[in-house]
Amino acid sequence: MSTVVTSAAEAGLVTCETCHLLSRPAKAGRPGYCPRCGAELVWRRHNSIQYAWAFLIAAAICYIPANVLPVLNTNTVTGSEADTIMSGVVFLYTSGSWPLALVVLVASVMIPLGKLIALAYLLITVQWGSVRGNRDRTRLYRMVEIIGRWSMLDVFVDTFTVALVQLQPLMSVEPGAGVVFFMAVVVLTVIAVQLFDPRLIWDAGRRWEARHA
Amino acid sequence: MPEPVDRDDLPQATVSRPRRTKISVVWIIPILAAVIGLGIAIQRIMTEGPTITIVFRSAEGIEAGKTLVKYKDVNIGHVSSVVLTDGYGKVEVTAKMAKTAAGLMVEDARFWVVSPRVTLSGISGLGTLLSGNYIGLQPGKSTKSQRHFTGLDEAPVIPDQPGKTFHLKATDLGSLGIGAPIYYRRLQAGQVVKYDLAPDGKNIDITVFVNSPYDKYVTAETRFWNASGIDVTLGAGGVDVRTESLVALLAGGLAFDTPPYLPVSAPADANASFSLHRDRAEAMKQPDTISRRYVLYFNESVKGLSVGAPVLLFGLPAGEVVDVGLSVDMVTGAARPRVIVTFFPERVVERVTPAGQQAALTAMVKGDAHARLAFVKRAVEEGGLRAQLRSGNLITGQLFVAVDRFPDAPRAKVDWSKDPLELPVVASTLPDLEAKLTSILAKLDSMPFDAIGKELESTVTSASKLMAYMDTTLVPELKSTVDSANQLLGTVDGQLGGTFDEARRVLASADRVLKNTDATLVGTEAPAQQELRDALQEIVRAARAVRVLADYLERHPESLIRGKNGAQ
Repeated sequence: MSTVVTSAAEAGLVTCETCHLLSRPAKAGRPGYCPRCGAELVWRRHNSIQYAWAFLIAAAICYIPANVLPVLNTNTVTGSEADTIMSGVVFLYTSGSWPLALVVLVASVMIPLGKLIALAYLLITVQWGSVRGNRDRTRLYRMVEIIGRWSMLDVFVDTFTVALVQLQPLMSVEPGAGVVFFMAVVVLTVIAVQLFDPRLIWDAGRRWEARHA
Repeated sequence: MPEPVDRDDLPQATVSRPRRTKISVVWIIPILAAVIGLGIAIQRIMTEGPTITIVFRSAEGIEAGKTLVKYKDVNIGHVSSVVLTDGYGKVEVTAKMAKTAAGLMVEDARFWVVSPRVTLSGISGLGTLLSGNYIGLQPGKSTKSQRHFTGLDEAPVIPDQPGKTFHLKATDLGSLGIGAPIYYRRLQAGQVVKYDLAPDGKNIDITVFVNSPYDKYVTAETRFWNASGIDVTLGAGGVDVRTESLVALLAGGLAFDTPPYLPVSAPADANASFSLHRDRAEAMKQPDTISRRYVLYFNESVKGLSVGAPVLLFGLPAGEVVDVGLSVDMVTGAARPRVIVTFFPERVVERVTPAGQQAALTAMVKGDAHARLAFVKRAVEEGGLRAQLRSGNLITGQLFVAVDRFPDAPRAKVDWSKDPLELPVVASTLPDLEAKLTSILAKLDSMPFDAIGKELESTVTSASKLMAYMDTTLVPELKSTVDSANQLLGTVDGQLGGTFDEARRVLASADRVLKNTDATLVGTEAPAQQELRDALQEIVRAARAVRVLADYLERHPESLIRGKNGAQ
């Protein structure tokens, strides 16, 4: 299958990003609104690459304190303990429940990191104008988009624990600073994913063809 | 040949320099994230304290990541790793300290593992039962910082508080142990820190720590004594029981005080040495600088006379018995008890009141031996000064030596050239209680009870004779006396009649006044009565109203809030 396809934009048409209706634009400069669902139509998302990079880098920076700082501070009669995500994983593993350790490791460490890497890969390839594996890259984008919303799981668990375990003065759990950064990572990557326009993956094909014609 | 150029196809130059790169505002977000991240990182680095290593003999109760380092019960760090070191012989504990505690990590800081300790004098480290052991710290005075320490096996006893260390020299340790309390007027003022055999092996060096502010009461004149256990003294003065506290009773302890008769002096320097006395009495005894020895040869039993028994001069304490022994005359073979007493003239002199006399006596006491000897000689030969054994306590049979004047005593032959000087004695007035009792009984026995009985009988007979005489002679006499008294009274009656009339009139008018009062207050129509009755009726009505209200409230408690419902 050829990677070079005629995009709607080249054909002078515009797709609605909400209901995916293909329509003729109202004007070349401003395509107007979708006749079916009323969403605003754009040729390509404005400054998509640059914006996505900005949020992605911000997320990557926040990823470090999210893993270094404690996410939970447990105060018991015998003293207080601060747990980072990784120490939680280690604790779960050493205390025997390795499936739980795996879940936490995947959901809280690997998926956020994977999202960052995947998005960076997409942005770099689009900037380079790569034409290989367009289809796979689009699939990767969709996956990242779908998974994104589940990354807040860790934050939810954290907040639930904090709200439930308040047995003063025997035991209490407080959120650590790490959880704020972890949330920032999730939110910033979700925004970055939303800002990235997957149609750009396919635009590269035409440029590549023009270059190698 | 140049190609024709379509000018319209060429781009138009701009007046101002075109902006090649357009940087979006969105980049503020990663910059912000970076700034926050960096800020946290910097803060972390800034608050990062020193990492220290402590070498312990055993890591009992120390867990990496859990065990804390505490000073004054404040967490100042935690153990990050515990590894074996020194050929598996010791344990090296690595601890991350808080930045604020960096100043405590000095050369002479000491570390030890705090674990629960139960001793007779108290339970310490009870908190560790819940929280687990922790590493305690005693800050040093040095300013040179250090990162590698050797931990102590046991908590240092010198508490982390101001005070002074003193050294005591004792002949034996008694029941003292490290941590044994030291009392000052029964307040715990410090504790035993260390004890050691002196290098010569004949004494015990006890190091004690006296807390501030008690340390300022330790002066050069202060006496320390062993306050362990109960000190029961059975002496001529009765039974004397002394103990400092229950802890000292069980665990041993020391006490100190400064004798009140000594002038107040400056607090002793730290590390000053003192000797440890056996008990309070010994410690607080006035150090008698001048002591004179006398020897007494008694001709009776000295049973009950012990070393240390008081010597009283005219009943005032003046010395003590230092030796009770026997003297044998090698020629005749006669043996008699020999008692050596020590006389402290200063004790007597200080009780002499006119200051001038006291000064003169002091001068004599301290003066040359001839004058002193003459003084004693005169007292013995002219004043009849003699020593005598007396019973201090009939039940225990304790004896003491009394030195008193016996003017009737026979002249004593004293060899005034001997040393120690012999003091003549007189026989005890109460040598044997049994003998006295026997003689009393013998005297009772020889009483002429029969003769006494007869004598009594004749006395009673003469008494009855006397009564009969009185009946016949005295009674008529008495009657005439009564008659004349009657006459006298009649006269008095007549004179007093007028006065009685007057009194009667006064009573009558008082009666009228009372009647009037009656009419106002008590009569049936009296206004006061009327008002009282009205008031009572009013109270009865009020009581009824209250009862009605109470009944109503009981049935309708809600009416308190809603008010009385008209429909009901």
